[in-house]
Amino acid sequence: MAEPVLDITDISKRFGGLQALSKVSLSIASGEIVGLIGPNGAGKTTLFSTLVGLHRPDSGAVRLDGRHLVGLKPHRIAAAGMVKTFQNVALFLDSSVLDNVLTGGLMRHPVEGARDLARRCLERVGISAIAGKLARDLSFPERARVEVARALCTEPRVLLLDEAMAALNHVEMDEFMALLRQLRAEGLTLIVVEHHMRAIMSLCERLVVLNFGQVIATGTPAEISRDPAVVQAYLGRSAA
Amino acid sequence: MNTSSTRLVALFALLAIAVVLPFAFDPRGYAIRILCLALLFAAMAQAWNIVAGLANQVSLGHAAFFGIGAYTSTLLLIHFGLSPWLGMIAGAVLGGLAALLISLPTMRLRGHYFALATLAFGEVMRVIANSWGGLTGGPVGISVPFAPPDLAMLQFKETRPYYWLMLAALVLVTTIFLAIKRSRLGYRLRAIKENADAAEVIGVDTTRTKIVAAVISGMITACLGTLYAQFQFFFDPDTVFGVASVSVRMAMIAIVGGIGTAAGPILGAFFVIPLEEFANQIFSAQAAGLSQLVFGLLLIAVILIEPRGFMAIGPRLKRLLAREKADG
Repeated sequence: MAEPVLDITDISKRFGGLQALSKVSLSIASGEIVGLIGPNGAGKTTLFSTLVGLHRPDSGAVRLDGRHLVGLKPHRIAAAGMVKTFQNVALFLDSSVLDNVLTGGLMRHPVEGARDLARRCLERVGISAIAGKLARDLSFPERARVEVARALCTEPRVLLLDEAMAALNHVEMDEFMALLRQLRAEGLTLIVVEHHMRAIMSLCERLVVLNFGQVIATGTPAEISRDPAVVQAYLGRSAA
Repeated sequence: MNTSSTRLVALFALLAIAVVLPFAFDPRGYAIRILCLALLFAAMAQAWNIVAGLANQVSLGHAAFFGIGAYTSTLLLIHFGLSPWLGMIAGAVLGGLAALLISLPTMRLRGHYFALATLAFGEVMRVIANSWGGLTGGPVGISVPFAPPDLAMLQFKETRPYYWLMLAALVLVTTIFLAIKRSRLGYRLRAIKENADAAEVIGVDTTRTKIVAAVISGMITACLGTLYAQFQFFFDPDTVFGVASVSVRMAMIAIVGGIGTAAGPILGAFFVIPLEEFANQIFSAQAAGLSQLVFGLLLIAVILIEPRGFMAIGPRLKRLLAREKADG
């Protein structure tokens, strides 16, 4: 495997009585698209939130290009090159789509430069037509795409997508996957949480399965679909 | 002519009217003093608007900065004969430091908790000013010593120069507000207002952004405190550090006019300040407190009719008219 861009070592996080993550370790190579799957409540979103600094892990280390990230605030992690989109979509609702995306560009550019970059990001995600609309007035699939455009506008090295394809129809999903493949070809590293198995199986060369906060399997889509522990986690003991 | 140049022409026309307006009033009369206060409070509400309007950090403690400005320049004038312009700069530095000081512990607070913490800070300043009689003169108040009327000493015999001074202050603060709104800082403040977690994740240093805005707002408010002192010649802790007289009034003016907009604080001030005086004149001869009651009722009526302030009435009318047209 190539030199890892993101190295996660033994990350644990506890919320009260719930062990949300327990000793999660992952190594992500530069330019990989990794799928993160698992039943509801497995810790996928918690892992993303911990990686970008919204939660501080109880123990463990996260390194991006060798740089330690644990303890840094989210904006410092964004500056280091890792951002995530929000599963429940967290746009600036009273701002226009362009202003939403532009805000992502302000970290590295003055307002005008960020605006130009934001226009390019909107174009890439295929939503230039709605640039002037208020985020509040958008449909859910549109909002999810604005999230992605805004994250791209921060010019990340590693992008964490939390169910960005939810509510897309098949045509939109194919377009979106083509975009992700192209971003990967340009050197972006992606970790994708997704429930659409068809999408994730065709998109990712490697899958990581979380259950009860633990990594229970990693491998190619074909290996994962045959893995007894995964089948058990998804279908229950009796089916295994 | 396109809309933006039409607006620019309208703006200059309005400004020209504002400049010559005092000639329509008795230069030694009461009405022009009300106009001066309306301009000053519009500028104060605009300064408050930088933090509260753009980032939704509703402060109820801005009197702290206002009073610091008033006392700093006045004490420097009394003890060292320092020009209030220099005193204003000193006040701004202290006001900015005070804003930094209060920001550090309150930055993590949002909504009501932030409002309450700032309210307490303003009250602490008032109590200190009242009890530290050796420095401030205590509850008795403090008088600005008379100097030969001169712009350099920020004192005038007539009210008109004060009017122009207040107008210039309002134009300046509004320009600063608009510049911030369109800058990186403005975009970041709006991002914080609309979703602070999302703002952090896409690279906005939310803590630093809020502190920078609070310090700018505090510095401007302190400068306006100096103007107030030079205009009134006399004040006490309750007038410059008061919750009702300063903190809540700044907030109320911006809210009534339209929070977060540049025109809101101006419309609000020219509604609230004259209304207050009007209620005072008509009803103060009657039962005690009646004027405040009438003033309060009128404010409640305005807020009930349009909670987002006067600035929201225009768009609302437009929507209504469009609907009429569609129905007809």
